[in-house]
Amino acid sequence: MRAEALKGHLDGLLLATLEDGPLHGYAVKEALREVTEGRIDLPTGTVYPALHRLEGAGLISGTWAVANGRRRRTYRLTAAGHAALSDQRAGWQEFATAVTFALKARPWPATP
Amino acid sequence: MAGHPLITAQLDALAARLPAPAAAELADGLWETYERRLDECGDPDRAAYAAVTDFGDADTITAAFLRHAPQRRVALLLLATGPIMAVLWGTALLTAHALAWPVPPAGKLLYGGALMATVALLLMTIRERRSYRRGRAMTVGALAALIALDVLMSLTAVTVGPVPAWPTALAVTASMLRILLALRALPSVLTG
Repeated sequence: MRAEALKGHLDGLLLATLEDGPLHGYAVKEALREVTEGRIDLPTGTVYPALHRLEGAGLISGTWAVANGRRRRTYRLTAAGHAALSDQRAGWQEFATAVTFALKARPWPATP
Repeated sequence: MAGHPLITAQLDALAARLPAPAAAELADGLWETYERRLDECGDPDRAAYAAVTDFGDADTITAAFLRHAPQRRVALLLLATGPIMAVLWGTALLTAHALAWPVPPAGKLLYGGALMATVALLLMTIRERRSYRRGRAMTVGALAALIALDVLMSLTAVTVGPVPAWPTALAVTASMLRILLALRALPSVLTG
């Protein structure tokens, strides 16, 4: 799937990957790839700025730990993040329903 | 697990451009990517090349961090409020006949030049795409300069000018508010 197709939906996708529990940046990218069966495979480096932006907005919170001898930042959803995810889901359902109706193939009108 | 020079070089490039916490987080992500690729193919060179390709180039990552950096938000806010400040101070100086004030022409020129340089710094901050640190340094410089310029102009208007009228009082109040805004923004710019 092309990156531009994700515009406006990336925040919701990242929030959804954190719904089941805390993850670090690489694990977020992998979770998104796995849950979409490889259809959404973001460049790893672009996941981190997006996570920082979500943290700045108070939708996720990060904590440092050490793993494999490296500093690792793990993120979890905040209460505001859970609410934002619910809003994103509702918005997406509405949008998807509208577009599905609009794009539905209609039979040709009968010739009089 | 042993490192790889290609990964180290990529991380050095990112560390030179980004704040230390962001660089540390990216380092974890890039090493993780490399280790996964190495597990898959077993060839360190191929794994390193694949990891760097998968991770994205330093320019793209830096630009993504800069797009939402606190320094950029502050610079945008200051530039957006600039025309309001110009109208307020323009009105105040015109009504107070500032051209007749006993201020040496060199001082006026210096002040104008410093103001233009500050606006240029703010514009360069919002256009900066390659270095988070440079963008941060430019914003801190612009904030310090704006504070100094606001203090200087307010003091001059109050002490050198005639008895302050309401346009001057309004302009000085706006400058004080901008100084407060700049002081409040400084910590987030310095640590963001």
